[in-house]
Amino acid sequence: MAVTLPDQVELDPGRDYPLAAHRPELLRTPTGKPIDELTMQAVLSGDVAAEDLRISPDTLRLQAQIAEQVGRTQLARNFRRAAELTALPDDLVLSIYNSLRPNASTKQQLTDIADRLEREYSATLCAELVREAADVYERRDILA
Amino acid sequence: MTAEPLPVSSPKSKRTEALEERPVNLDGFVEEWPEVGMVAMDSPYDPAPSVRVTDGVIVEMDGKPRAEFDFLDQFIADHAIDVSVAERAMSLEPVEVARMLVDPTVTRSEVVEVAGGLTPAALLEVVKTMNVVEMMQALQKMRARRTPANQAHSTSARDNPVQVAAEAAEASLRGFRELETTLGVVRYAPLVAIALQVGALAGTPGALTQCALEEATELELGMRGITAYAETISVYGTEPVFCDGDDTPWSKAFLASAYASRGIKMRFTSGTGSEVQMGNAEGRSMLYLEIRCILVAKGAGVQGLQNGSISCIGVPGAVPAGIRAVLAENLLASTADLECASGNDQSFSHSDMRRTARLLPQLLSGTDFVCSGYSAVPNYDNMFAGSNLDSTDYDDWNTIQRDLQVDGALRHVPEEELLAARSRAARALQAVFAQLGLPAITDKEVEAATYAHGSQDLPMRDVLEDLKAAQSVMDRGITGLDVIKALEASGYSDMARTLLSVLRHRVSGDLLHTSAILTPELETLSAVNDANDYAGPGSGYRPAGERWREMKRLRHVVSASNPEEEIG
Repeated sequence: MAVTLPDQVELDPGRDYPLAAHRPELLRTPTGKPIDELTMQAVLSGDVAAEDLRISPDTLRLQAQIAEQVGRTQLARNFRRAAELTALPDDLVLSIYNSLRPNASTKQQLTDIADRLEREYSATLCAELVREAADVYERRDILA
Repeated sequence: MTAEPLPVSSPKSKRTEALEERPVNLDGFVEEWPEVGMVAMDSPYDPAPSVRVTDGVIVEMDGKPRAEFDFLDQFIADHAIDVSVAERAMSLEPVEVARMLVDPTVTRSEVVEVAGGLTPAALLEVVKTMNVVEMMQALQKMRARRTPANQAHSTSARDNPVQVAAEAAEASLRGFRELETTLGVVRYAPLVAIALQVGALAGTPGALTQCALEEATELELGMRGITAYAETISVYGTEPVFCDGDDTPWSKAFLASAYASRGIKMRFTSGTGSEVQMGNAEGRSMLYLEIRCILVAKGAGVQGLQNGSISCIGVPGAVPAGIRAVLAENLLASTADLECASGNDQSFSHSDMRRTARLLPQLLSGTDFVCSGYSAVPNYDNMFAGSNLDSTDYDDWNTIQRDLQVDGALRHVPEEELLAARSRAARALQAVFAQLGLPAITDKEVEAATYAHGSQDLPMRDVLEDLKAAQSVMDRGITGLDVIKALEASGYSDMARTLLSVLRHRVSGDLLHTSAILTPELETLSAVNDANDYAGPGSGYRPAGERWREMKRLRHVVSASNPEEEIG
């Protein structure tokens, strides 16, 4: 199977969006199934699991490209952080969210989370966000 | 001539007695008190606009050096404001930016770019130069999506899932593109969320559903595909109140990415008056604090914001120019290029005149969601503490749309169609509950839900059994996929296919873009492929063709060819 990386695809929002209607061939589930294979038949025969009804990191990066082209810088950045988070299990996502609440973590705990995001999940943008939070929380005295 | 002083105990005039009886005098009004933030948008304690940029970093904002920034200042300076245009934008007079907002020959994107360089205090100064008519003119240009839409509240005072299913079907049939529920008893959530989803499928396809809960639980239901989007992600305009809400701009930004990572549409929520209501407005005006919320949402990269005071509407509603400030916050959310679900979603006034006046700015300008919760049930069933509009206002709403040729995104639906959809929703839920081993729904309940006006018209359910079953939905890991299979197995194939299509949109991510909704044909309509192109008279969205024909229909319209006949 030839793999096309999102950065190798040039999207034109006017022509290609919505991707489901105009570029379905670019869309795959996180398990690698083409979106067109998510049929009722496949659901009933048990070939579609809950994990198939999720977005893949590549798709989020394609949508980030569209957001950038229509001038939505922050939205695109959010999609790029989200692309990194697709690799994390649900409970880890929830636990990191809870750690970022005020007075919930020490600076070391936040730094450890950032390191883990980077090391285990290559989630550099998310790690950057957590490190930034650690610095601000220290300055504003809302660490545990 | 000196007037004779009246005796202290003089009787009231008949006029005064008549006025005292008017519902508006049951509303609460207070004097401004800027020191505690009881002031809408014009406070002597709001900061003066300023910005200083060094090496691409904002080192001073609104009179404060970077070392003194609170966490909102820092988040806004580093993530929301476009540093490359900040100094140029800040050099403009507020009234120049306001004129750009109003002038139809200045495009929406030109305004978005300039406004992107403005600080919170500067944005406040801009809207302070505008009256409500100018703000409405600006809002019809700045709304992100070209086609307006509407959102409903589908709740039940008894958390009755059968009622919620029937109401969701009716609401989607009447035109709502988003349906929101919440609970009296939070543990009921899984059953009511399933009911909302199933019911929505029995009306006009493509209405997205959500269940408002504590952040982590709301995310879990979304991840399972039981709900389709989320909105109750609150942000606040001062640091102490943000912390009281147990969040920070960074935790909320992370949450925004968490939702997007599962392909789930999400918007934040904020509104004027929340900080003063929570007792820590730091002596700033309500609108100044709300602008900080808008910019936190922008900086977090979330696609949209529900604002317009929302559940705190009583606070700006009580002070002078409060409803003008509420319109200003909708305008500024749209100007920040965010989807705006524009309030009109909380009981606001005892006076029908006043609640209509409060609605008109959003209805006439058009917003992404005119109401971020029109109560699709009677207000006694509204578990968001009542809305500005409820299910007894449908005919008034449809008539106002027709009178003014303004699209409030609803339509009149003949009785037989409504009954068919309500009945089908309740029947389908009955089948889904049976398939999933949840407590039985009787034929009597289906019948009652079909013809009901509210929860009082339905038989009581065994609440303890329902709550046990709700827990089992969570424990057994039931997902949207199980609901699809249950619908298909019970012969509701069209509804099963629609739900699969809604969930498949998560794989594409198209619904993550600004102001996205699904059309009845299950196609994505957002600010990308339906960008607002208003450029003055003759341009932009205007109801025409089939939609205008639909808007002309009311419950009672006399036939032109036969005056004895009514066309429905």
